[in-house]
Amino acid sequence: MADVVSRTALDMREVSFRYDAGDAADAAEVPPDAFADARQTASPPALDDASLRLAPGECVVLCGGSGCGKTTLTRVANGLIPSFFHGVFTGSCLTCGLDTTQVPIDRLTPLTGSVFQNPKTQYFNANSTDELAFPCENMGMETAEINRRVSEVAERFGVADLLERDVLRLSGGQRQRIAMAAANMLEPRLVVLDEPTSNLDSSAIDDMRLLVARMKADGVAVLVAEHRLAWLNGVADRYVVFKSGRIVRSCAADEFLALSPDTVAGMGLRALDLEPYRQRVRGLVASEAASGRGADGASGVPLLRTRDLVIGHDRRRTGLRFGLAGAGRANGRDHRGVQDRSMPFRRAVDDLTLYRGQIVGLMGRNGAGKTTLVRTLTGLMRPLSGQIELDGRVANAHALTRAGFMVMQDVNYQLFSASVREELMLGFDEDDADARTRCDSILDELDLTAFADRHPMSLSGGQKQRVAIGSALMCGKDLIVLDEPTSGLDRLHMEQVGRLLRRLADSGRTLLVVTHDEELAAGWCDRIVMLSDQR
Amino acid sequence: MGLDPRAKLYLLLLANLMLFFHVGLVTQIVMVVLFLTPLAAAGRLRMAARFAVLYAALTALGMLDPDAMGVPQLHVVAALAVGVSMMLPCFMTGAYAFTTTSASAFVCAMRRMRVPETVVIPCVVIIRFFPTILPDYRRIREAMALRGIASGAFAWIRHPAQSLEYVVVPLLMNATTVAQDLSVAALTKGLGRKGAHTSRTAIRMRAADWVMMSAATAPLVLDIAGVI
Repeated sequence: MADVVSRTALDMREVSFRYDAGDAADAAEVPPDAFADARQTASPPALDDASLRLAPGECVVLCGGSGCGKTTLTRVANGLIPSFFHGVFTGSCLTCGLDTTQVPIDRLTPLTGSVFQNPKTQYFNANSTDELAFPCENMGMETAEINRRVSEVAERFGVADLLERDVLRLSGGQRQRIAMAAANMLEPRLVVLDEPTSNLDSSAIDDMRLLVARMKADGVAVLVAEHRLAWLNGVADRYVVFKSGRIVRSCAADEFLALSPDTVAGMGLRALDLEPYRQRVRGLVASEAASGRGADGASGVPLLRTRDLVIGHDRRRTGLRFGLAGAGRANGRDHRGVQDRSMPFRRAVDDLTLYRGQIVGLMGRNGAGKTTLVRTLTGLMRPLSGQIELDGRVANAHALTRAGFMVMQDVNYQLFSASVREELMLGFDEDDADARTRCDSILDELDLTAFADRHPMSLSGGQKQRVAIGSALMCGKDLIVLDEPTSGLDRLHMEQVGRLLRRLADSGRTLLVVTHDEELAAGWCDRIVMLSDQR
Repeated sequence: MGLDPRAKLYLLLLANLMLFFHVGLVTQIVMVVLFLTPLAAAGRLRMAARFAVLYAALTALGMLDPDAMGVPQLHVVAALAVGVSMMLPCFMTGAYAFTTTSASAFVCAMRRMRVPETVVIPCVVIIRFFPTILPDYRRIREAMALRGIASGAFAWIRHPAQSLEYVVVPLLMNATTVAQDLSVAALTKGLGRKGAHTSRTAIRMRAADWVMMSAATAPLVLDIAGVI
């Protein structure tokens, strides 16, 4: 019996959990559109009668829409519930034989490793080697043993070339690889991944697959909560589908992968096979190239046209960088061609033409210069050479900033007011009847009327996105750029974003979408511009 | 050459004592030279040079005699210059301590000094926060520009309170989510674990540390004792 217990990495029985009101009932776990009312009334259980077992070397994927309970389940497994997130817990959870409700989370540290969604907010040390050493230091290991483990794990997880580097200068994908290696430093028996790929491009996601395979080969049980499912083909052993906190389906990988795309879509899940989407993306990219950069097919004067544009920055941007001493510095570009932000960067961009009423996707690998391009197009940066025309006239950076808007990936940076209505009215006279009418109609257009008096920060990610778009419409912007609008979104919300883009385009706005999301690009973009790697 | 983090913190303490005891000009100049030497030795030549030039300029301004020049209004400038030049050593030692020390070396130093964990852990998190503020600020400035909210130096002078609000609100909102993410990651990595924590980063007080510390202490003590 004891043997069975010790061999099971996770044994969860009839677990139900309800977050305390206000305590950590974060947007990730409450259905975003029900978020408004969920807080005032008693919150529904985040997890309802869930049972799950994981054997060593097994990889189980938890899937389902936002707020379905999959993140909550990972928190129960790694002991964050009840150590950090409080609420009402019933049932039992044994992680590597330890009862998570009875033992302090410190006891679980050497047994479970965790990797979270945001590559920016899960490391403590500026130096990647220190970051790997961090869990070992906390366990009180000797320096020699720490160094031995660092080099052994770095070797095993293929991150040896990332050692002694400044974490701030690593790409999101590289940071996630370091996070995966760090989660394995104490030789855990269970590793919990909570949407580890939401901010990554497709080649970085492929790296993640290899790391999961590596852990399985070492006999580590892997629990993954994920929206993007395709990358797990071949490494996942079992899929568990959640709906409103309950497990509605649990089946072996072959059975799950044999489901028809429609069945999968019907469960609100992202595609299991991205090949059809990739094909459509390739088709759009090819027709873009053939049509001479979209010059025909649309009539009239383009909203924006670039000529012989060279983008980038020459000067080193330095600032006060505290606590970063001793971190190794890469020269300009690292081995994966990811651009070092403080190093000069320069690339030519094929002439690009944007017409009103179109959704144009901008794709390409990390470091290809997508962000630099859209920053240049919205006038936040000046081009190194070449011209940008607005409505047929050469425009300077100021004019571009006036005409364009960017919905940032992290939309929190661009909301300044205490209510949604104030946010839209920012810069307008409150007594201006005309502005008020326009504000009301924009709120209505974006389904925000019900939230007009709420604080923007109390809204879900998708709602915040719509508020930011609303503020752009209020300012009468013609060009709206969205930076990764669907990262970390489930199918339903991804499609919601797609439909919103379509509606905005149909009403004559021009949309440029920077994205790694093949499903969004294939489903909703009229044209796709691929920013190739330079060399 | 790099000093031990403890020696760096000691220099920071001395700089603060200097401000507190109101040392004479000669002592101040000697101390400033002593503070800038390790900064330059650590490879921060440009930073050291900037501090030196700024300090020299402020000292020169402070020595102006506005009455003799017949421009009594200049008293304001001279007084301001003296005030800032007195605070400057704190910035020098602070910049030296924080830009030339890794977070793990600091943590190690604090643990060696038997600082309680309840102080160490918040310090780890604060050190972790610093580098994120500047990029965050740039993003917010961009967001303001896109919204047509003036964000340049002119706006800061005309509407300081409003400009501060526009910058601070998103910064804080973001900080709360970052704080939660960091706490969660810290818990799973055992930062709060009871028992001994070790450090891979080796720190050791060397002869150079002791020399530097005594060299910087001497002028201050002599000044307070009234010798200089």
